[in-house]
Formats: sequence, C-alpha cells, structure tokens
Amino acid sequence: MSNAANSIAGLTWANVVKDVRLEWRSRDVFNSMLFFALLVVVIFSFAFDPTAEESREIVGGLIWVAFLFSTVTALNQSWARELRNGVLDAYRVSPAPAEALFFGKCIGNFIFVTVLECLMAPLFVVFYNLTFAGPAWQMVVILVLGTWALVINGTFFAVMSIRTRNRELMLPLLLLPISIPAIMSMVQSTRAVLNGTTPGGHIKLLAGYCVVFTTACYLLFETVLNAE
Amino acid sequence: MNVSKIYGRTAALRDVSLELESGRFYVLRGENGAGKSTLLRMVAGLSEPTQGEIRIFGLKTSEARSHLGYMAHAPLVYDEFSGMENLRFFARLYGISSDGPLAEAMRRVGLDPELTRRVGQYSQGMRQRLSLARSIFHSPDLLLLDEPFSNVDPESAAQISRLLATMRTSGATILLITHQLGLLAEIADEFLFLSAGELVSRDAAARVTV
Amino acid sequence: MKNAFIFFSAITLALLCYGTYQGLVVAPREETMGDAQRIFYYHVPSATAAYSLFFVNFVASIVYLWKRSARADAWAMAAAEVGIVFATATLTLGMIWARYAWGHWWAWDMRLTTFLILWLLYVSYLVLRRSSEAGSTYVMSAALAVVVFLDVPFNYMANRWFRTNHPQPVTLDDPRMKFALMTTMIAFLAFAALIVWFRYDIERAVQKVAATHIRKATRSVMASIAAPAVLFFQLPELEIHRQRTFMYGGYIAAWVIYLGYLLLLMMKRSNLKKEASELAR
Repeated sequence: MSNAANSIAGLTWANVVKDVRLEWRSRDVFNSMLFFALLVVVIFSFAFDPTAEESREIVGGLIWVAFLFSTVTALNQSWARELRNGVLDAYRVSPAPAEALFFGKCIGNFIFVTVLECLMAPLFVVFYNLTFAGPAWQMVVILVLGTWALVINGTFFAVMSIRTRNRELMLPLLLLPISIPAIMSMVQSTRAVLNGTTPGGHIKLLAGYCVVFTTACYLLFETVLNAE
Repeated sequence: MNVSKIYGRTAALRDVSLELESGRFYVLRGENGAGKSTLLRMVAGLSEPTQGEIRIFGLKTSEARSHLGYMAHAPLVYDEFSGMENLRFFARLYGISSDGPLAEAMRRVGLDPELTRRVGQYSQGMRQRLSLARSIFHSPDLLLLDEPFSNVDPESAAQISRLLATMRTSGATILLITHQLGLLAEIADEFLFLSAGELVSRDAAARVTV
Repeated sequence: MKNAFIFFSAITLALLCYGTYQGLVVAPREETMGDAQRIFYYHVPSATAAYSLFFVNFVASIVYLWKRSARADAWAMAAAEVGIVFATATLTLGMIWARYAWGHWWAWDMRLTTFLILWLLYVSYLVLRRSSEAGSTYVMSAALAVVVFLDVPFNYMANRWFRTNHPQPVTLDDPRMKFALMTTMIAFLAFAALIVWFRYDIERAVQKVAATHIRKATRSVMASIAAPAVLFFQLPELEIHRQRTFMYGGYIAAWVIYLGYLLLLMMKRSNLKKEASELAR
C-alpha cells in the first residue's frame, strides 16, 4: 500500500491500456458506435435537405446528437464488458482504489469517442458543405470539452445503471436531462464558430461544467460502486 | 464478526455471529437462498452489512483486501485476453509487476503459462482454474470461494481440491461454499450450516456423514 | 407529535383559504389580462414550493451520504416526490396561463425550458428510486440527487441564451396584489411542508413497515384541501367570461393535481396498513 498517489495514476493508466487492448481485440464498442453515428448522419440527410446557409444553423445540433447516441452506446458496451464474467467483482475485491477504475474508464471511453469524432467530423463537413467562418481550432476545444462532459457523467451513470433493472434504458434516461446544459453549450458554440461569432461564453460554461462534474463524480464514484 | 444484512424488506441474513480461526478449512452449507453467498460477499468486502461489522485479522474489510482471495462461480476474468495477460492485469491491481508469481500460480492450478489462447476458448474447468490462479497469486491469508466446482469437469475439480488442501497446510484460512461435499470430505475442518439467513450449527468434520 | 400535526394542518387550511380568497376576490383585476392573471397567485407560490423542496432533497441527500441515516433518506424521498407534484402544478398552471396570454400552450423560452428540465431531472431521480436493486437504492439516489442539484445552476445559465417572453416579474404596483401574493406564498409553503411531512411519515412507515401513526394525519390534510374548494362555489358573479374560464381552469387544475396526489398517498397508506397487519401475525 505504498505511494498511494503514484498508484492511482499508474493504475488509471493500466486500466486505460487494458480497455484499449480489449477493444482492439474485440471491437465491440467501436462497431456499435460507428454504426449508430453513420445511421444518424444518413437519416438526418433524408430528414433535412439543407442549403449551405441553413446547414450552418442546424448542423451544430446534428453533430452533437450523433455523438451523443454514439457515446451512450460506447458507455453501455464498455461497462457490459466488465459485467460479462463478473470481472467488476474481481476489481472491487482487490486493493486497487475505485478512482483509478473510474478515471481509467473515463479516459478509455474518451479515447474511443474521440476516435469516432475524428472519423465522423470530415463526413459532416462533406455532407453538409460546411465552411468555418470562425477559427477552426476553437472547434477542437469544443469537441474536447464537450466529449469529456458527456463521458464523465456517462461513465458515472453507467455504473449506477448496473444496479437497476432496465440497465440499458437507465443510462440515457439519467444522462440526458443532466447533460442538457452541456449539450446546449456545445451546440451554441459550434454554431458560433461556424458563423464566425464568438463562442467565448459558451465555452466557459462548458469548461465550468466539466470541472464541477468531474469533481462530483470523482467524489461519489466509490460510494455508488459499492452500493450493494 | 456479528452481522445482519437486510435487503429491502427481506433480511437475507439475520444476526449471524461468527468467529473463525485462521489456518482452518471451513465449508459453508445450506439450502438455496439461505444467505451463503451474501455472507461470503460481505466477508469479501463486496457488500456492506446493514448492521454489525466484519473484521478480518483485526482489520476492516477495506483494509484487508491484499490478504484476500475471492473466487465465484463466474470466472471473473476477461474472455478476450489470454491467461497470462489476465493475470498480469490483476497482478497490477495488487502491486505485483513481475511474472514470476503469476506463472507459478498458473502451474499450480495445472495451466500452462505460455498458453496464448484466449480465455473465451477455454473449457469451463480451465476457466475456473484460471480464476483460482487469479485468487492465489498474491498468496492470500484468507481464501473465499463461492461454488468453485459448479459446471467443472471432475478432473479440474479434483485438481482444485488438491490445491486447496495444499494451501490449507501452508497456513491459509479457507471459507468455501459448495453443494458437492464428496471432494472435501478429507480436507475440511469444519462445516457451517446456514438456513433462512441464520447460522444453525457448526460441526467439526469428523461428525458429518456425507 | 400528532397534535402538532393536526394543529399545523389547521393553520395551513386557514392560510390556504385566506390566500385563495385574496387571490380570487380581494386582489384587483389586472389591466391587461384581467382575471386570468389571478392564476399567478397559485403559479408563483407553487414554483417557489417546488424549488424549496428540491433544495430540501439536496440537503437531505448530502446528510444521508454523510450519516447514512434512514430518516434523512425518507426526507429526501418525500421532498423529491412532493416537489414534483408542485412542479407539475406549476407547469400546468403556466401552460393554462400561456394559452390565454399568448395563444399557445408552450414556448421554448428561458424560464419554461429551465423549469421543464428541472422537472425532468427529478423525474429521473424518481425513476432511479423505483428501478434500482434493493439495498442500493438509498445510496445511489442520494448520489444522483447531489449530481442533479449541481446541474441546476448550469441549467439556468445555459438557458439564458434563449429569448424570453415570459412575463417579467410582474410589477405588482397595487399593494393588495402584493398582499395577495404574500398570503398565497406563505399558504403554499405551509401546504408543501404539510404534505412533505405526511409523505415523510409514510416513507418512514415504508421503511419500517409499521403503520401506527399514519391514520391520524390523513383526516387533517383532507380537511385543509376541502375548504378552499368550497370557496369556489361561493364566489359571486359567475358570469361566463373568457378570462374567468382560464382562471378557474387553472385553479381547478392545480387542485386536481394536489388532490390526486393525496389520493395516491391514501392508497399507499392503506396498502401499508394491510402489509403491516399481515407481517404482525
């Protein structure tokens, strides 16, 4: 039980590596995420037939809806893997701290969703004829913060939903209402960047949201994990 | 330990009060739903008692984790990794970074450490043996097993019991739940009976007819 | 304890009658919206009651996480459930008023959206309570309550970007209007406290499956509901006027919600009693 601080970082990393390797071998998470995201893009393209001007207004929302569905799928799948053979129990029985598991999972999920976003973003640009009137680097900041906001709460609620009936329904049901402020900020700031206006305020809100909820989820995770 | 566990309106365990001595082999018996798994999970630190507390070697369960090994009828390992890869990950959780004890544990359960086959392709017997390896590589002082022999071929089962006997001889305390008593007639020290959430009796092995 | 409860019910009943009287009769008609504006005297206090109750839920959940006391959890549950009842009433009243004032039932403006999301958040809390595994419910819902409440300020800030045509804090120039609002505000807060108390008792009974002290409380609460309802039938000038329709519609809708909830509580109480007698064999 020496160097606790060191262990948490080290164990978090070990968890991330494990998740990435598992994913590399089985590709469950990735396949379902990709499928959902593509489905959303295609269906929306039938639902809307936007000109370049209009698309700037709505595509902010569309992108985040697609990513939201994909994130929920990713979260469900990544925890499903821990439950499949009861592996979560093995983790809980070990002396490893719960926080390492939490952050490991969050970072792992973050990586998966980010990879997806990198694949999907160009598709969106192409399908909807997007041009960035504002500085495009701000888009990167928005993507990072927005994804983290979804992933942190999502991982937390995914653990909660493990102990409920209707596990797969509980996750979106808990996650969506709480994420509404974050989603609004993401959409507004994306729209601002596309239109060339300043997204400053929205980005600050998003950043504040990330800080507050990362802290809250970090503090409460162990309690929820061991609620039996 | 003197514990109760209430689940909602049902009491899975009522006022179970137990003291176990170290270095002995205990078998926990009872009909289905008697609360055996609940008790074991509480000792493992997976479940909190509603009332009362559990102490292991004088420590609280959360502090005693490195002295515990836990095995359930689910294998508790990842299907997508090989045996060694699984053990390496779990070893990391216990702060063990060398392969030595892991390979040793695998050999003791009769598995080849060099095997690169994914656990998903193992037979049930092999999986349970790997699960046992996972529970013992850190040389725990207390080993908790919940129906380790279920769905396991007789040869693997025999191997597991032999290993448990060896561990007991080297001083570990073992608490095991099973319905298959035939395998343990020789090795067990004491039988504990739970019925409807209460501890009904304790008998030293010699007096129990199997 | 029972006497305190009955006494408090009596006071609440008096306040509700007085407040409703002030709102329906005494306060002067407002220029632009006429009598339909009187919905305001129920709408705003209901909203305040809801917000206060959600805050109580937050505090109780934190206390539970800290002390693991079953009482704290009972308060948290009661506060959340009753808070939703008041929030539902607020939304309903607001929608009826909106229909009159703007012509449509809903608008995506700041206040309404924020409040709707708040409602959704606490409904998700109730859903979690119902579908979680026994043994984990209290802890998990307490954790959820904390996270949900932390979302409230963000919710408020994020929605500010919507335009708003929600009536600005209605300038109540006439002191009689201010008074009417004050009385209904106090009355509703007392009413909220009363129902929460009742609900807390039921929750404790659910926790203990003991039904001794639930009977007495019921009668008092029923009485405090009945009286204002009676008042409706005694109002003069029942001339059919469109504004009045909305006003009555609003008030009646609110009472339907509150009464409906109390009926549910009654049924729950009688189920508990049956269970308790079965277990006592």
